[in-house]
Amino acid sequence: MTGRRTPSHPRRAIGRRAAVLVALAVAALATFTAPSAAQGDTGDGAVAKKTVSREVREADGTVTTLDSRTVTATVDRTTNLRGRERVVVSWSGARPSGGRTPSPYGIDGYKQEYPVVIMQCRGIDDPTLPSDEQLQPETCWTTTEIQRRSSVSRTDAVWLHDLYATPEERVDQGAGEGVDPSCYLPPAVLTQHYLPFVGADGTVYEMCSVETRAPEAAVGDNALPAAEMTGFTGIDGTGSVKFEIRTDVENESLGCSADVPCSLVVIPIMGISCMDGDAACNADGRFEPGSLNTDPSGTDGQVDPAVSPAYWWTASNWRNRITIPLDFALPPDVCDILDDRAPVDMYGSELLAQASLQWAPAYCLRDDRFKFRHNRQIESASLRLLTTGTAAAAFVSEPADPLTVTEPLGYAPTAVTGFGIAYSIDLPGNAGEVTDLKVTPRLLAKLLTESYGSVPDVRTGHPGLAGNPLNLTYDPEFQELNPGIAKTDELAAAVLLALSQPSDVTYALTSYIAADPEAMAFIAGEEDPWGMTVNPDYTGLELPVEEWPLLDTYVRPNENSACWKSVSTPWLQLMAAPVSTMRTVSNALLDAWPYTQSKCNLDPTYSPPKVSIGRGSERQPYGNRFMIGLTSLGDAERYALDTAELRTAGTGTSAQFVGASASSLSAALAATSQDETGAPFLVDYDALSATAYPGTMIVHTAALLSGLPATSAADVAQFIETATTEGQIEGSGNGELPAGFLPITDAGPTADLYGSAQIVAEAILAQKGAIATPAPTPTPTPPVAVTPTPAGSVVPLAVGPPAPGLPTSASDVGVDPVTGLPADEVPVVAPVATARTSAERSAAANNALPITMGVGLAGLVASPMLRLWATRRRVP
Amino acid sequence: MNVPRWLIGDRRSRRRRATSPLRRGRLPRLAVGTSVLALVGFAAAPTAAFAAYGQIEGSGSTWSQVIVDQWIADVSANGMAVTYNGGGSSQGRKNFSANVTDFGISEIPYQGVDEYGNADTSGGREFSYLPIVAGGTAFTYHLESGGTLMRDIRLSGETLVKIFTNQITTWADAAIKADNNGRVFPDTSIIPVVRSDGSGTTAQFTTWMDKQYPSLWRAYFGKSGLTSYYPKKSGTKTIAAAGSDQVMNTVSAKSGNGTIAYVEYSYPINKGYPVVKVLNTAGYYVEPTQYAVAVALTKAKINTDKGSQLYLTQILDEVYKHPDPRAYPLSSYSYMLLPTGKNDRRMTTNKRQTLVDFMFYSLCEGQGKAGAYGYSPLPLNLVQAGFEQVAKLGAADAGVDVSNRDATKCNNPTFVAGDLSRNRLAEVAAAPAACDQKGQGPCLGAGQSGSGSTGGSTGGGGATGDGTSAGGASGGSTTGGGGTTAVDPETGLTIDESSGLVIDPETGLPAVDPETGAVISAAGESGGAVSGSVSTQIPARPVGSTAVFGGLAALELLAITLIPGLRAVRARRGGAR
Repeated sequence: MTGRRTPSHPRRAIGRRAAVLVALAVAALATFTAPSAAQGDTGDGAVAKKTVSREVREADGTVTTLDSRTVTATVDRTTNLRGRERVVVSWSGARPSGGRTPSPYGIDGYKQEYPVVIMQCRGIDDPTLPSDEQLQPETCWTTTEIQRRSSVSRTDAVWLHDLYATPEERVDQGAGEGVDPSCYLPPAVLTQHYLPFVGADGTVYEMCSVETRAPEAAVGDNALPAAEMTGFTGIDGTGSVKFEIRTDVENESLGCSADVPCSLVVIPIMGISCMDGDAACNADGRFEPGSLNTDPSGTDGQVDPAVSPAYWWTASNWRNRITIPLDFALPPDVCDILDDRAPVDMYGSELLAQASLQWAPAYCLRDDRFKFRHNRQIESASLRLLTTGTAAAAFVSEPADPLTVTEPLGYAPTAVTGFGIAYSIDLPGNAGEVTDLKVTPRLLAKLLTESYGSVPDVRTGHPGLAGNPLNLTYDPEFQELNPGIAKTDELAAAVLLALSQPSDVTYALTSYIAADPEAMAFIAGEEDPWGMTVNPDYTGLELPVEEWPLLDTYVRPNENSACWKSVSTPWLQLMAAPVSTMRTVSNALLDAWPYTQSKCNLDPTYSPPKVSIGRGSERQPYGNRFMIGLTSLGDAERYALDTAELRTAGTGTSAQFVGASASSLSAALAATSQDETGAPFLVDYDALSATAYPGTMIVHTAALLSGLPATSAADVAQFIETATTEGQIEGSGNGELPAGFLPITDAGPTADLYGSAQIVAEAILAQKGAIATPAPTPTPTPPVAVTPTPAGSVVPLAVGPPAPGLPTSASDVGVDPVTGLPADEVPVVAPVATARTSAERSAAANNALPITMGVGLAGLVASPMLRLWATRRRVP
Repeated sequence: MNVPRWLIGDRRSRRRRATSPLRRGRLPRLAVGTSVLALVGFAAAPTAAFAAYGQIEGSGSTWSQVIVDQWIADVSANGMAVTYNGGGSSQGRKNFSANVTDFGISEIPYQGVDEYGNADTSGGREFSYLPIVAGGTAFTYHLESGGTLMRDIRLSGETLVKIFTNQITTWADAAIKADNNGRVFPDTSIIPVVRSDGSGTTAQFTTWMDKQYPSLWRAYFGKSGLTSYYPKKSGTKTIAAAGSDQVMNTVSAKSGNGTIAYVEYSYPINKGYPVVKVLNTAGYYVEPTQYAVAVALTKAKINTDKGSQLYLTQILDEVYKHPDPRAYPLSSYSYMLLPTGKNDRRMTTNKRQTLVDFMFYSLCEGQGKAGAYGYSPLPLNLVQAGFEQVAKLGAADAGVDVSNRDATKCNNPTFVAGDLSRNRLAEVAAAPAACDQKGQGPCLGAGQSGSGSTGGSTGGGGATGDGTSAGGASGGSTTGGGGTTAVDPETGLTIDESSGLVIDPETGLPAVDPETGAVISAAGESGGAVSGSVSTQIPARPVGSTAVFGGLAALELLAITLIPGLRAVRARRGGAR
């Protein structure tokens, strides 16, 4: 939106070379997880099988098996695990569950019947080991004490009838047996049972009250959410969840690490095996298999305790456990906080965040390198920071505005990665998560232009939206591409959670849309084949833009709500609610907690009544999640977020869709070129092949080619050389390239990038100005032409000056529209199109210091001579 | 590709090093065993330098969230896991007292009782206040004229208060015109945007109104004092939004024409939006650059009673009326609530160590980029006091290593070696341009293009908005040495023929080197019109002069050392003659 690029890039047509590159690309190593990651029969995963059963001892003493099933549990990755990594746990052969709760996490998943309890426990399930190395219920983590403390009426105390429990275990601890006195709940009206938690250092946490919790146990939106889950088994006996792994860094009390072994414990709840005919113990459930429990806290949401997960620790359930040992990665070497070297600051692209995190220790841990610091910052602002000396280098995908940054810059390709359209969507009928989503540029345009009404009254009341679907899930275009996804009324289904600040990622995303005739026709005002039209406030929006504008103006009347009536912010803008970083988007998707500003609270106790709008306080209910957002491929891989396949070619049934993979990123490189040596490689979105991932972005390290202090120049050159060699080795170790990136190598499709990086590194080191190249000098362009969007569009609202000579009403009345001064006082200024400029430097001032010092030097030399001369004169 | 040697053999020995991650970090079992042995040996050594970290979680202020998020990203390279949710200061204090978080961040201390009569205390949890960063509460706005965003608006405190109390309702108001020395604005309705959640930014803003304009504020509020929840009156155009991000969205949206909002300076500058220059006591309109904030906060009174629970909290009355022409009135600090109790039930040794080292980084190196993100670094006295607070974590738990983490190891741009009470930033801050003085100007950016730092005649900070720390500092007092030489906007703009850029003579000034600035001010050359000890500069040395500078410096050093000696020799020879 700020027009910081040259009017057009002379693009090379992709020719024969492209074909060769594509062929080479196929050979490239895949840094991306396969789309079908749900099946974990890779070398990293583990499978375990067990026959589980529920039995009962009849009155005559015989034990009858009521139900028996053979359950197979699979974990897609069990080795080299890192903190907060999510693994897919899937199972088959289990008894179908009933009463699915909105959330499977922690205590929220407890009002279900016949579910599968999944938890992380310290120890190994091996009876030959010393007892302190074996896992047991006491070493299994729960986030609250409620998940291990029972305090119920005697009739519901099903553990008193557990067939497999020892007599010592079949007791009411409320009577004071075997429990710390601090945990008594006098008077002992209720029957109680406590299961303490034993920390890695041996500390025993009674876990019978909020006060006796382990330090990591806490609930609330700001605490680390519960990782333990209660999974739901579908009618077919299968189910799956993504389970978040915790190491000793996240949970010191649980203490799992490379040195302290832990296991994943999967308990298919079959129901308690009873030693007698107790009715509660023998209960077999209230919910139909596959049903929902929409109100877990209400009367209708209650479950039979005997078949609920609440008594996972009873001997009956515990003997049915399936355990899978987990292997944790050694923590990587990290930078020393006491390292007193000043950091070398590089600013820019968030796309590099995961890579720079792994790269940093490879620099700080070596005396012959430097302390590398990547500050996430808007790319265009980062380029300006180069000229002020604040930033040694900038990480960018698009070139600097030549009018803003006049110094020659070198751009060294440093990473090939990109953006992803990530999502968190559940299949209807508790059938699991959607793992395959297809979107077109037009669908993205519809979401970004706020063309879905999101709620019925806005859809009908908002000018131009009445004929449009309520949200993405109602859109026939989306439905045809993604059959099987249910319609939902989730507000978040009407928008794409995207970035509020200027970003090269927004520029890339909107370039992809701009290259699609269908999408642009839609934005221009044409109906799509199903009659949907663009939100009139966005009609004719010129793309691409660096910052997505919020243009909607419709305020929801909401006559029925005293709270909403007092709100004058346009409704769809509250739904879009863009945020400042992609990391924020990733977190929102992980939690399925949208940013839609849907909460309106009116507090009449305050005078005047306090009205507050905010993010809806509820996370989306599990089983009904629908959220879609813009994120980086690095984040998507790190947090196991699914990303959509984007349309690359064709329309309708002949359309082709491509997801992010090593080969599709390689294929996109065929459509990149640079104007001249040292210039950035830019993606030509019109030239992308059908196999190329359109979200591909190249991140460059940009630095001054002259005037950079020698030490900074050496640091930046060293960084580029290291990052493009050692830094391109794939892996999760120090200095390595994380998943979500395509390695740059000196051969194959990335060879040009590699070669250019080395040339630029040398030029930065040399600091002798622009890289010598026969490339034509850029022709001076009329300033206005620099903005990619012509004057008169709705875009340059915030940045561009009016085109010269543009008549304005204000000037008609004798006041300058820009300065507001009377017309005859308007300063004489030349029209400039540049958006932002860094501080100017004057040669005179620049030389002031040397000149001053020169004068000082002269003085130092001259004064003794003067004195000498004076003295001599007196002496003779 | 070969495995690089640094992956195999490294010079430092650390906690459980990944000795040989030959392929994607997977290790042979043997290596695990070896490293366990190594760990045991290492832990036994009394000089074990490396502490294990545990994840810490915090919540609170969105005012400081931009810089806190940066620090969190930085220390992840040190192996620290920190999470932070910006739910507003009130929420941060509440979560901390409920033991939901390991730390909180708030602009104001616990108030005892909140607006609703509910307790606003730590609920018995032991804690200390730890200042973490300074900044200015800025007023950003969105006003269009002829399809262009207007910039360089300046307002007095009284006008601002009247705007936010719905007494001034149009941009064409005479008071606004007067503040801008006759500059006329369109007759667009003013839409004040306030925070809907419990916010420290609101608390800072309302504190200032209550102290400086009590009659206006209290008439609107219905009582005296500050509030974290801005009272929005029905029937007015005021809009409320949750969190600083959403406030900025509201302002920058197309529907935001006419809006004005209070928000930490980093939000508008990251967004490229203009901020109001606020009139200070000296009669200058000033923007909240890191310099203007640093100058203002030299007048902050810090509670230095170590026995008080409010130790280190701020009293800003003098800041609001600091007579220095460079000061930005609405400057303040943000605080961390640090759990210092021995028996704090969320604390472990590893978590305390993370808090210690996260704060060591933030108070020192982390301050170095405060300016680039729209904040102002803490001065040394507060950093030192902060370390005393951090040391309490060491006192609470013998397993926590607080050694070598103190101000002498700090890489903080505000420090003056050898004088702990001085704030270097405040000393080098530029004088405001003459056109920023009341009754002068106004300073206008060239064609108001972009974020305005194109040069215009903006002196003290101009309409930067591009996130540069340097943008602000160009003051107007060194050309010709004739005191204030601010150029009149009517004549001051020239065009650089070579670049086609509009360049104001004044904006050449940033090229003055920091060191030069110091020399000049020592010699008393800088314009006395404003402040004797002040010189003009930008924080970073311009890149062009390094070689010359270096050469001259070397020669000068040579001359200083050699010439007296040579003279002495010569004198002796002469004497012997």
